[in-house]
Amino acid sequence: MVNSMPGTPTALARIKDAVVANWARLVLGIVSISVFIACWASVSYYLSESGNSLSPYLPGPLPVAEAFLDSFSDSVPGLTDTTMWDMIASSLIRVFWGFVLAMVVALPMGLAMGSFRVLDAMGKPLVEVFRPIPPLAWVPVFLMVFKSFWGPIGIVFLGVFFPILLNVIFGVKNVDQRLVDAARTLGAKRGTIFTKVVMPSIVPYMMTGIKVGLGVGWMCIVAAEMMPIQGGTGVGYYVWLSADYGRYDFTYATMLVIGLLSIMTTGVAEIIEKRVSRWMGLR
Amino acid sequence: MTACIEIRGLSKVFSSDKRRVVALESLDMEVVDGEFVCLLGPSGCGKTTVLRIVAGLEPATGGSVKVHGKQVSSAGPERGMVFQEFALFPWRTVRRNIEFGLEIRGVPEAKRGEISTKLIDLVGLKGFEDAHPDELSGGMRQRVGIARALANEPAVLLMDEPFGSLDAQTRNLMQKELLRIWSATKKTVLFVTHSVDEAVFLADRIMVMTARPGKIREVIPVSLPRPRDRTSAEFIAVRGKVLAELDEEFEKARKTELSPD
Amino acid sequence: MDKRTIVLVIVVAAAVVLAGVATALYMRGGSGEGKVGYVTMAPSLMDGWLAANQSDAYIAWEPYVSSSVVAGTGRVIMWSDEIMPNHPCCVVAVWEDFLSTTDGSDLTLRFLKAHIEANRWMADALADPDGGNYSLLLGMAADFTLRSQAVVEEGLAHVEYGYEMGDDFLSALKEFTDMYVESDIITNETLDGLGYADVSEFIEDYVDESFLVLADAVEPSATILNPDDEDAVRLGYLSGDLHQLAQFVAQNTTVGEGKSLFEVYGLNVDPLPAYSNGGAVMDAFNLGDVDIGYLGAPPAIQKHANLDIPVRIIAQANSEGSGIVVHVDSDIHTLEDLVGRTVATPGETSIQHLLLRIALERAGISFVKA
Repeated sequence: MVNSMPGTPTALARIKDAVVANWARLVLGIVSISVFIACWASVSYYLSESGNSLSPYLPGPLPVAEAFLDSFSDSVPGLTDTTMWDMIASSLIRVFWGFVLAMVVALPMGLAMGSFRVLDAMGKPLVEVFRPIPPLAWVPVFLMVFKSFWGPIGIVFLGVFFPILLNVIFGVKNVDQRLVDAARTLGAKRGTIFTKVVMPSIVPYMMTGIKVGLGVGWMCIVAAEMMPIQGGTGVGYYVWLSADYGRYDFTYATMLVIGLLSIMTTGVAEIIEKRVSRWMGLR
Repeated sequence: MTACIEIRGLSKVFSSDKRRVVALESLDMEVVDGEFVCLLGPSGCGKTTVLRIVAGLEPATGGSVKVHGKQVSSAGPERGMVFQEFALFPWRTVRRNIEFGLEIRGVPEAKRGEISTKLIDLVGLKGFEDAHPDELSGGMRQRVGIARALANEPAVLLMDEPFGSLDAQTRNLMQKELLRIWSATKKTVLFVTHSVDEAVFLADRIMVMTARPGKIREVIPVSLPRPRDRTSAEFIAVRGKVLAELDEEFEKARKTELSPD
Repeated sequence: MDKRTIVLVIVVAAAVVLAGVATALYMRGGSGEGKVGYVTMAPSLMDGWLAANQSDAYIAWEPYVSSSVVAGTGRVIMWSDEIMPNHPCCVVAVWEDFLSTTDGSDLTLRFLKAHIEANRWMADALADPDGGNYSLLLGMAADFTLRSQAVVEEGLAHVEYGYEMGDDFLSALKEFTDMYVESDIITNETLDGLGYADVSEFIEDYVDESFLVLADAVEPSATILNPDDEDAVRLGYLSGDLHQLAQFVAQNTTVGEGKSLFEVYGLNVDPLPAYSNGGAVMDAFNLGDVDIGYLGAPPAIQKHANLDIPVRIIAQANSEGSGIVVHVDSDIHTLEDLVGRTVATPGETSIQHLLLRIALERAGISFVKA
């Protein structure tokens, strides 16, 4: 698709169009969220007014919103010189490196296992043994062996690794034979077929694996950070710590941050996927 | 007249644990340089198999297949192929699809561009050099397929029902286009089809195949001058002749399809 | 390889390199330039980490200090009493709902009496290293902490057991609470919401000395007041924490000459499975799982304030008994030497962490996450 034709709407105009077209959905969405917040506020108000012992565990939307906003500008309770930005950075850094490591290992391994039956036969049983183990089960081992910086990264690695590996293997095994035939009649030998046909073909599969992997990896990091021995900050850790202090307003605020971060990571992954698809002409 | 393709006693057997299918048996045929030959036959007669063996995509079980005197063993750019489902690389633009074979041979970029531009012009795709296959219509895609095979200056162009996926009008248009390209490039063409009409319109010689196990039943020359008029008496006469040969084979094929082996 | 793929590879490689640089810069942030960095972990792992040089120092409670010293891998550079003499450490707390049951008060008094007697017994035993009770005590300490007798012997030398509260006790707790308010862990609004004008009021309401006063008068009893196991006093405590030895001693039947001290005073006690930290004990109180618990003063303060968990502090369990340990071969000898290094603490909510912060702040050194 040609993007730079005259008369192409600007981003703002496109957003406006989208809003207008979907106004019904938007309104319903807003109503739904408002109702939820209202319920939350009432429950929390009721609990505190009636002196219920659960009341401190469920602060209302206002204190949580306050905590949320404060956490970005001031140091959060219990940690010195640490704002929400620092904690987000810590968690993101770990997810990033876990992801990079997973790609570096899973991509070649997937290509190899998909291409050579011997390797596939050798690798499959190992994969099937380790894949079902939830990455979090490895936390005690990893944190002792890889310490507090690489340990959580290792957990993310495990979470991201398997979806990418399996998707790439599948992609290799499902390369369109007609394309391989065409390449052969154009003079391609095995090596060229691999680089010029197989590798571009697996890109959509790999992107799917990446999307799934990122979601899993993100869940892993939050939970891995909640485990005792870890010396970093991170949003998962702060969920635990703020609760340990009894500052549940910050606990919920951090949970909100985690949710937002998750949406953003998935969103970024999808944008990249669309871009790559378009660039490769594979819609 | 030099023999471009020479096939003697070709046999092909597909065997699996469950069945043994004799697709081709003692098939003999010859294609001369510069000729346009159609291989015509009922479904399942093995015509595509013949083509794939010549292309080097399938091994023969017995017999010999030679192109310009050399025994065929594996696929190569001197036997370019055009596929029914186009088989274009979706992640490459039109130009880069066409340049695929040239890239493999290490032709430098500038020269590649020259060659691909000429071919793009030849097949009538000027302006679409940077489009991706998914932006093109069926007819356009096949033009790319043809250009891509031609880029390697093949000795023979092998075409496997290349217009089978197109609608009737596009099909007719592409047939005319193909003839134009053919006369411009003077290639030898071996064209597989099950459409009598198409064969009579295009070919110098039509080789009618028998039902499975396939061999050449009859070779019918078509010496009508091109462009051929589908409504002319001569055209209809040749068509009738071919049809007669074919009908018998269609019957036999139908019976084999329906009876378990 | 065509141009586009090459560009892509370069972009990706550049992004990764950039990220690496950013990460290195960011992670270096913690310790350095007048700062001491900390990491948090469970104390039982600290001696191993130190020995493997994974951290430069750690602060923990006994027996985790002596475990390094006895193993020859660690050296103490500062004891917690050097930071704050006689600082309260672990306390005994009781659940309000338990108190309001029929025999609640009575059972609590008996419990405290046993706690008091256990403390006295321990003091006597420790005073006579050649006596039989001394080795009995070592044995009990080793059983409770799962450390060797050599380690607990060393540790016992540094823990001050005691049950008295008093003005110093109260002012220390107030000081802790002030620090929490200052770092926003407890807000003034929270104290206000609970009905206290200030920290002083809060602590004075929290600590109840009335039980101690009456407890000492409790006489041994031939009959158990709460014989049914359903009515047993559920006792919570921290895993392997040498500071909380008194309750373990009170369970031992040799000490009471054939009966446990609890039984001597007619009390049926059910020691629950150990908790991993004081916060967990507070949560357990809130869930109604624990009647009387031993825990550190800081989590007792934090969660009582922030979550209004209904407990009262009725006695002290110990004071002091924590230390800063460095590797025996290291060049660290003073607090100032810790600048630019990393210290492992049991967690931001622990008293050890708080004490280290106090000590560093006094020396004008920042204490930040490593």
